[in-house]
This record gives sequence, C-alpha cells and structure tokens, in this order.
Amino acid sequence: MTDTQWETYEVFHQSKRGEAHEHVGSVHAPDAQVALQYARDQFARRLKCVSIWVVRTSDITATDYQDESFFSQSTDKSYRDPKTFGAPDHL
Amino acid sequence: MSEQDEKEHLAEFEARIARGEKVEPGDWMPEEYRHNLIRMIGQHAHSEIVGQLPEGKWIPFAPGFRRKLTLIAKVQDEAGHGQLLYRAAETLGATRQEMIEELLAGKAKYSNVFNYPTPTWADVGVIGWLVDTAAVVNQSMLAQGSYGPYARAMRRICYEEAFHIKQGYDAVVALAKGTPEQRAMAQDAVNRWWYPTLMMSGPPDKISEHTERAMRWRIKTKTNDQVRQEFVDLIVPQIRALGLDVPDAECAPDKATGHYQFTRPDWNELKRVVNGDGPCNAERIAARRKAHDDGRWVREALAAKSGQSTKTAPLLA
Amino acid sequence: MTTPTIESLLLAMADDELVLGHRNAEWTGHSPILEEDIAFSNIAQDEIGHALIWYTAYEKLAGRSPDQMAFERPWNEFTCARFVTYPKGDFAYTVVRQFFFDVAEEVRLRSFLASSSEVLRSSAAKILKEEAYHRLHTQGLVERLGDATEESRRRMQAGVTAAYAQALGLFEALPDEAVLVAGGVMTPNIELARSWIEAVAPVLRSVSLTPPVALTADAGGRRKKHLPDLEQLVTDLQSVYRLVPGGAW
Repeated sequence: MTDTQWETYEVFHQSKRGEAHEHVGSVHAPDAQVALQYARDQFARRLKCVSIWVVRTSDITATDYQDESFFSQSTDKSYRDPKTFGAPDHL
Repeated sequence: MSEQDEKEHLAEFEARIARGEKVEPGDWMPEEYRHNLIRMIGQHAHSEIVGQLPEGKWIPFAPGFRRKLTLIAKVQDEAGHGQLLYRAAETLGATRQEMIEELLAGKAKYSNVFNYPTPTWADVGVIGWLVDTAAVVNQSMLAQGSYGPYARAMRRICYEEAFHIKQGYDAVVALAKGTPEQRAMAQDAVNRWWYPTLMMSGPPDKISEHTERAMRWRIKTKTNDQVRQEFVDLIVPQIRALGLDVPDAECAPDKATGHYQFTRPDWNELKRVVNGDGPCNAERIAARRKAHDDGRWVREALAAKSGQSTKTAPLLA
Repeated sequence: MTTPTIESLLLAMADDELVLGHRNAEWTGHSPILEEDIAFSNIAQDEIGHALIWYTAYEKLAGRSPDQMAFERPWNEFTCARFVTYPKGDFAYTVVRQFFFDVAEEVRLRSFLASSSEVLRSSAAKILKEEAYHRLHTQGLVERLGDATEESRRRMQAGVTAAYAQALGLFEALPDEAVLVAGGVMTPNIELARSWIEAVAPVLRSVSLTPPVALTADAGGRRKKHLPDLEQLVTDLQSVYRLVPGGAW
C-alpha cells in the first residue's frame, strides 16, 4: 500500500534583524502554515531566530550545475573590482 | 549517453572530487555513487529513528527533572537527525516514504548498535557517551565527504551530538560518583556496550565491501579501522579516568604506534545483527511499524485537507 | 490584607503540567510522522518546564524541591486533574486533550495577570508566551483533522467526546478556593470553566465537532481521588529515582 508523502518546503532562517535569511533545510508538511510550525520546531529549537520563511520546494526555479556558461565571464571584468584601482584605500 | 560522454563525465566528476569540491544534487554522478550514497544515508537515517527507541524507553523513568527533560530533548534530536538525513537522501532521487517502507519491510540495514537491549538506566548514559562518541568520530569524517547535502546535514548533526555526548557523560559521572549500586550499574553498561560500539564503525577494512570506492569518491574519508582506532584512542582514557574498567584485558597503549591495542569484536556477531538477527531487531522494527501504521490516518487526513496529492520530492537541497 | 497561601494552587498546576508532559513524551519516537514527533517532544518539554516553574515557586514557600515533589511524593498526594492522567490514547485523543489543555491554560494564566500574587503574575506572563505556540499548533491540528477524512472525523469526534468532560475536571474547585478568590489571587474555577467552554466552542463548531450534550465534569483529582492510571504513571516516573532516594542521578 502506498503511503502519503507530503510535499517539501525549503526553510530559510534569520538569526537576527539585519541579517539575511539563510537556507537551513527543509520539512515535509501538508501546507505552508504547518510547514512554518515544523520549521520552527526542527530548525529554531536551538538556533536564535527572529524570522522563518518557508517556500514550497517545487516553486523554486534554479540554475543547472551543468550549465556553467550561465555564470562564465570570459572577458576581463576586473574593472568592477575596487582592488584593481590605484586609488587610496581610505577613499 | 554514449560511452565516450560517460567517460568524460566520470573524469570530470572525479576531478571535481579530487579538487576537494562538493558534488551537488542535479550534478552528473555515476549511478554507483548515487546508489551507494542513498544506501548509506538511508541506513544512517534509519539508525537515527530506530535509535530513538532504546533510549526513548527510559523517558518515563528518567530520575529527576533535568534528566527527564534532557532525555526527551535528546531523543527528539534523533527524530530531527532522521528528518535531515532522509531529506539529504531525497536529493538523490529516493523518497522518504520509500526508504521508510524498506526499513519496515526489513529490507534496509541500520546500525548494529540499536539492536541491543537497554535493561538499566545506566544504558542511557553509556549510549550517549560511548555510542555517540563513536558516532561523532564517524560523522566528523562524513562531514568532510564529497556530497554537499550529506556533508551539510552532518555538520549540523555533529553540533547536536556534542550535547548528546555531554549529557551521557554527565549521567555516567553521576553514577560513577554514586553508591556502589550505581557504580556497578555503570560498569555493567560499559561492559555490555563496549563490543557493540566497536562494531559500529563497520567490518574490518580487509573484509569491507564498500571501503575502497567509497574512499576514492570521498563518500568516506577514513576507513572503518581508522575510525575505530580513533574512537578507542579517545574513549579508553575517559573510561579509566572515571574509575571504570574497559572490559578488555588486552587494551593497553602501544608505545610503538601511539595507539591503544584492543581485542577485535566478533565480526560474525556484527554480520548477524546487521542482517536482522540481533537481540532486539524484531522488537525495534515492530515498534516503528506500529507508529507508522497508527499514524497513517493522520498523514492522509492532513494531505487530504490541503488537497495535496502524493508527490515525489524534487531534487533541490 | 495579606495574600492567602497559594501552595495548593501551585501544586495543582505543577502536577497538571508534569503529568501531561509525561504523557506527551510517550509519543517521542512513536508519532505519526517525524515532524510531528519533533513538535510533540517540544510540547512535552515545554509542559514539564512549566511544571518546574510552579514547583520552584512552591519550593520558595514550602522548602521542598521540585525533584522532591515530583519524584518522592506518593502518587495519592498528587492533585492533578484526572484529565491529564489518562493514557495517551490515539493521536486524535492526544491532539484534542492537548488543545483543551492549551485553552484551559490560556484562560487560567490570563486571569493570573491580574492576580494579587506577584509570583502568579510573573510566572503566568512567562508561560503564556510558550502556550500561545502550543495553541497555534494544536488548534491547527484540530481544524485540519476535524473534518478532513471520514476516519479523521470519526477519531477526532471520539476524542472530543472522551476528553470534554475530563477537561472540565481541570476546573474542579480547590479545597481552599474561597480564600484564594477572596484574597484576589484567582478567579473562581467555575468562571474559568465558562470562559473555556466559550473559547473551545467556535473551534469545534468550525469543523463540525460536537461536545457531548449531557455531562458532568470528571472531577476528583484536586481532592486526590485518582484512578489507577495515575498510580502507574507515578510509579514509573519515580522508579529509578527511588532506587537511591535523595541520591544524585
């Protein structure tokens, strides 16, 4: 007999105001509200936390690791790096 | 995929691992790597949720508020670790449901050590201290492994295992400093858990089927024997410092190697226990099956309420 | 006017929390799904933690430690409501019982915010923070399981039918309640019971669960008239501790 497999939600956790939300894991949950509760119990029972986001895993659009050209920058872009300028650091 | 492509992918894959980079879900990987990892992470996850049982048995009896709260939190963490690990395996294309059903059907393996009984309170302390120290030696190694989601899960789990070891040690210290009866209880538990704990790192390298490839692909970064030796070197001085005995007359430091010598456990026993014929295998699986069967209506009802259909988890981690 | 002695009140609440926490922890390792295992283990720890708050307040007045009160006191000296002593039942009964308890706690603790007793005011404020989350979780489960499938509906209704009169037993009057009420320490239990009935009704109604029509509160616990379930539970609870009474564990 096949069983019910709840969908997964990705969990993002913010440790304090001012910090970014970080991905910390995922939970199986029947809906987003319950996912928030499960995320709290699984990922915020020790870590300090002021905010949690949950996102249905299937709603995430991601790049493909295979497609390295997506991130490739073959021409010289060093002019974007502040360190490549001779200007003094105190500026 | 042509044989040529396959070769190129494999070369690229192995080069990535050799560079110390992690493999991520969705990357090309040899089927064997995927299978080995699903098997290994699945076994690890099963070990966590089966591992809830021998200690969880003592939650109603834990002596005092602090021990009771600590033990609930510890066994809760094991559910949490199971949750993290099943998820890591899901990123390789397995589903938690399939893995759990394999466990319940008696088709999946899990750590030998959870198939032994826990007849006294001292078992709770000794499991936390001995078994979890052995687990952490192994898991710190796995945290260096090549598969990103597994390594990430391991880092978090190792952090929580530090709490497990300390609470276990603390409980054993209380016994070691207690009445003669309490002390005897602690020694008896050390005696019973010593060899099962040594077996946890797996069969010796010369008969282990999985080690060589697992090392090359950095599924493991140390061999079973290395992990076992590291554990022995770590734990023997701790046991003796508490005035307890290591139940092995041969156990002594070897000046030439700087390591402790010790008597090897009975590998036939390990084989028997891992293959389902340990003292408590049937009881453990029956308990998990009961929880699973009794809880089916809850899982179904919550899914029905939200209109979720049965879905396979996608590969993101 | 001096504040009347609140020991009996503190112990009744402490015993409720400890025994229910003990029952909830029976799910650890045996829950319907891993995520719920983690959630109920949290609730169990919270309830036992609340018991510790009340036992500690008691210790300051009476000098006996939380461990002494929980692990050395005879079972027939406990004053918990019978409600918390019943076996955990199926998950539906557990969810309904915990939801009923969460609402009862909320009603009682809110009433303490205006108590003449400082320790009740400050402890209530502290505990209410955690209770709010319990209620969110258990009410959410009642609202989801109450009318999801035929089986979940049947089980949840059975849970409500069994637990409702038991829950009213939480509001059994304390032997010295009149003095406590007169001293501004607490609101009469009969009033709290009314607030509880009003608070749970809309939640049950929203998923067509119905409380039993004719009922009497399952009282007795506050007067130490307990069932064998509590005797077994306390025997288990104290079994290791009593091997070396007063010893270090």
